[in-house]
This record gives sequence, C-alpha cells and structure tokens, in this order.
Amino acid sequence: MADLVQLVIIGLLAGGIYAAVGVGFSLVWGVLNIVNLAHGALVIVGAYLTWQIFTASGLDPFLTLPIDAVALFAFGYVVQRGVINRIIRAPLLFTFLLTFGLNLIAVNVLLLIFKSDFRSVTTAYSGAGLDLGGIVVPYIRLAALGIALLVAAALALLLNRTRVGLAIQAVGSDRDAAQLVGIDLRHAYAVTYGLGAACAGVAGGLIAMIQAITPTAGEPYTLQAFVVVILGGLGRVSATVVGGLVFGLVEAFAQSIPGSGSVFANAIAFGVMVLVLVTRPQGLLGRLR
Amino acid sequence: MTTSQRWQRILIVLGCAVIAYAVLAPLTSLDGAQALNLPLLTDKLWFRLATITAMFVVMATAWNIIGGLTGYAAFGNVAFFGIGAYTTGMLIAKAKWPFLLALPLAPVAAAIFAVLVGLPLLRLRGHYFAVASLGVGVAVGELVQNLDYRGEPIFGGASGLFMPIFAVPNRDLYFFYLMLGAAGVSIAVTWAVIRSRFGYGLIAIRENEEAAAVIGVNTTAYKVAAFALAAALTGLAGGIFAQWNVFIDQENSFPIAYNVEMILMALLGGTGTVFGPAAGAVVLQLLIQFLSGSLPITLDLPFVPEDAMPVLAQVVLGVLLALVVIFAPRGVIDFFGGRSRLTIAYLRRSLRETSI
Repeated sequence: MADLVQLVIIGLLAGGIYAAVGVGFSLVWGVLNIVNLAHGALVIVGAYLTWQIFTASGLDPFLTLPIDAVALFAFGYVVQRGVINRIIRAPLLFTFLLTFGLNLIAVNVLLLIFKSDFRSVTTAYSGAGLDLGGIVVPYIRLAALGIALLVAAALALLLNRTRVGLAIQAVGSDRDAAQLVGIDLRHAYAVTYGLGAACAGVAGGLIAMIQAITPTAGEPYTLQAFVVVILGGLGRVSATVVGGLVFGLVEAFAQSIPGSGSVFANAIAFGVMVLVLVTRPQGLLGRLR
Repeated sequence: MTTSQRWQRILIVLGCAVIAYAVLAPLTSLDGAQALNLPLLTDKLWFRLATITAMFVVMATAWNIIGGLTGYAAFGNVAFFGIGAYTTGMLIAKAKWPFLLALPLAPVAAAIFAVLVGLPLLRLRGHYFAVASLGVGVAVGELVQNLDYRGEPIFGGASGLFMPIFAVPNRDLYFFYLMLGAAGVSIAVTWAVIRSRFGYGLIAIRENEEAAAVIGVNTTAYKVAAFALAAALTGLAGGIFAQWNVFIDQENSFPIAYNVEMILMALLGGTGTVFGPAAGAVVLQLLIQFLSGSLPITLDLPFVPEDAMPVLAQVVLGVLLALVVIFAPRGVIDFFGGRSRLTIAYLRRSLRETSI
C-alpha cells in the first residue's frame, strides 16, 4: 500500500514537469500547427540559463525562473519572426525539418559552450523533504509541481482573458479570418512561439534543479511533450495538464515493473503514444483537430 | 538541342565518370596494382569515406520511397538500419552464421518489422505519423540496448556486439563494392517503382489519399508495402555495416542524426526523383566529413579547437537544413535540367510562397 502511494506521489511530481514541458508545446502546435522539434532544446536552454545564473551569482534557482521566461520569450519571438514565419505555409515536412535544424543548432551550440559534462544545481535545501509517514517528498519537486500548475494557470488566463490571448486563439482557429479583422499575423505567431518558449524555459529551470543536465538532456522531452499533448488532447491548457499528470503516473507505474526502469523512458513514452493514437486519437479530454 | 537536353547529357556523362572513378580508382591502391607501379588514385582513407557515402545513398534513396513518393514524413528510418545491423550481428556473433548467409536476413527482418509497426502507424496522418515514426526510431534503439533476460543483456547491452572479422582478401574493397552494390540496387528499385503501377499508386496517395482510395488504390497495402520496401533497403545497408564495422552498439546502429541526415539528403537532391537522393547523399556526406575533419583535406579555423569541429559540423548541418527548407524547398536538383535557374528571384519566390 505504501508502495502504491509512493508510486502515485512520484508519478504526480514527475507529471508536473511533463505538464510544464507540455503546455508550451501544445500552444505552438495548436495555434501554429507546428510540431516543434526544438522544444526539448528550448527546455534545456532554460535549464542552462538557471544553472549559469546560479553558479555565477548564487541567486536562488527559483528566482531565476522569471529570467528564464523573459529570455526565452525574447528568443522565441525572434526565432519565429525571423525564421519559422518564413515557412509557415509550407508542407508539414518542412516545418518539421526546420525545427529539427533549430534543435541541432541549439544543442550543438550548448555543447560548444558548456561541453558535455553533467551539471547540477545544488542548493542548501536540495536534500530536504516533507516526511509523509515513511515517504519523503523533496520540497523542490513539490515546489516544481506547484510552479508548473501556476504557469499553466497563468497561460490559460492569458489566453482567455487578455486581448493578445484572444488574438492568438483567433489566429489558431482561422488564420485568414483573423487577418481580416486586423490581427497582425506575424506578430501574433511570434508572440505564440515566444510564449511556448517561455513555458519551456521555466520547465527547463525546474528540470535543472531536479536532475543533472547535459546539452542533449532535452531530447527525450520533445517526444514526451508530444505524448503528453496527444494524451490530454490538443487545444486546451487544462487538457495538457491532465495529460502531463496522467503520463507521469503511467510512467511511474511502467518503470516500477520488474526488469523495467528509467532506461526505457523513450520506449514507454512511445508505447503510451501508440496506444492512445490507435484507441483514442482525440486524447482523454480533447477534440480531434 | 534544348537547354534541358544539354543538361541531361552533361549529367549522364558526369554520372558515368563518377561511377567509373568509383569502380576503378580503389583498384589502384591494391598491393598488386602498386607492385605493377600503377599510379595511386585512391588513398585507403577514401575507401571508408566512399563506403559510408554509399551507405547514405542507400538510406536516402530508400527514404525517398516512403517520404518522397508516398509523402509520409517517416522520421524513424534509422530503426530499420539498426534492426538490419543487429540481425546480421546477432546471427554472426551469437548463432555463428557465416556473413553471407546472415546478410540476406537483415532486409527481411527490417521489412517484417516495418509491416508490423506500419499497420497501426500508417493509419496516422501528418504530424501524428511523423512523430510516431520518430518514436519508433528512439524506442527500438533503447530496447535493443537495455532488454535483459535474467540479468543477461539479450542484444549485447551497452557493451555492444563484436563479430569475427570477415576473412576476405582486400576487405576494404570488398565492403565498398558490397555497399556500392546496395546503392545500385536501391536506385534500380526506385527507378522500377516510379515506372510501375505501384509507383503511380504511391504518388496518387501523396497527392490526395482519399482520391487515390476512390480510384481503387488499396492505400493501406500500398503504404505498408512502400514502408517495408524502404525498410528492407535500409536494413540491407545496416547488415553490411555491421560486418564491415565488426562492432555494433546502440550508438553506431541507431544514431538519431541519421534520421534527419537521410531526409536532408533526399530533400537537397530532390524528393520523388530517382537520382536526386543519391546526389544529395554524396554532396552532403562529403560536406559532413569535410567539416568534421575526417577528410585528408581539413579545415583549420582560427580560434576553433580541433575537437570542437565535429560539434561545429552539426551546427552547420542545422543551418544548412534551415536554408534548404526556406530557400530551396524543391531541392538543388531543381536548378539542373533547365527547370529553374538559381537566381535571387527564385530564392525570393520560394520565400514568398511559404511565408506570411
């Protein structure tokens, strides 16, 4: 029983990270119709930013998260406006290849700067945790889950309650009609990608506190983000959050099977993806686009 | 004679020259030839490069069958390469089969696997198929490296598989010709497919899948067959690679980078054509090798340490990917044969067609 409770807790905590990684990916996919293969790279750029600021200045890693968000928003805005907007009407394969190219550039530039050594952010409170009758829940992971939910809520609020959010939704549902009512498409697309990148940056900051990072550590997150989004269903922030938490649980249980383990992260994600796509392609809560 | 005919002739002559060089030049570096004082046209180092290039010709040409002709953005074809490599590797290393008996099973295993995953995955469209196939690529590699049976790795685990060296005179040359033969087979297969009823069916699926189904193309069977054909050719390259390299592990048999390199090669040369992917493979592979410093002619950049060059090569590859996708989406081959001219206007038009 205690094992079961522990698995659920581990799963939900990991799920928070998946939700944080997933919301930005979902936004970009839903609005721009781009499967952003550079998403994992953006996550890891955020992670290195947190690590760099923390090691250089000793600033609390949680306080670096807003910096990650702002920096990656700016980066994402420029990338979309300058590069991805150029092929936004091209066939799917081209957007795929372009984002993969961006991923390749980002990861290898990180390799040039930081080398492939493992880096980690270790604070005074890194080892501390909440003791729940034998099960220790690390404070950092708990806070990460809270922040992930907060980011998702903020994004949902922004999309539904602000002018720019409504413009983004309008562009997502009908590009030409949105243009007709006077929305600047280039700007709206760039803001969307920027927001996606900002979410990825915050997720990366959280990841830097939880695991050791290398420039290639972001790669599994792209596939996992995809799985999270199809699990929840494309189109709504809340669906992605549910997808993230469910995926965290599924992964925790799958990795607890004897003979399995964290080495099978990609295979598990892939298995879940195929299962969902074949049995319920619209996702657990979503509508099919 | 029109410009396009002239270009065609030039290309044919150039192609013949390249093939003649590829076949004859290696012979001059044999000990026998050197004893006769024949001029050395090819250094041994070039064998390795030429064999790798031929390997990529196979992969890019095979990808073209599913990606270029059928229009399904397969992003995980490296799985077939790895399965081919591991089929040969396991048969030689564990079952002690001779290489030439084990090799034919590499394409068979890859094709069977392609049918099994293709049946569910090829029902998916667009993004869903692309990412699902990407998932196949990484998941198979991970399973091969990590699957255990009672604590013993089934496929050699992280330490990989070693095979005995294949005893044959002029080993380098033997594998070069074998890989060149595989490249020839894949180009011939593409040529035959494009001219067949099957090929027309695939192109119909690419242009409009519903319409293809309406006019009587069995879309599922066609798509799975195209996927399996691409898998078989890729698996063949993997099988040859395994014995040539003598050692295989997850890293050299399932490199994620190959997925995109083969697509970029096909794209660079022109998707849906017979020779385009092969031409793209030769050009891009030479560029990658040059940048990563594996060629006799190396690039000495100031301020860049030598060990950073392979990483820098990947950055250049990414930039190239972006440039091709943005400016030359129909491939560089579009500039030959008189269809288009490489002008600023062409680049501007490509840009305007797809941007907002």
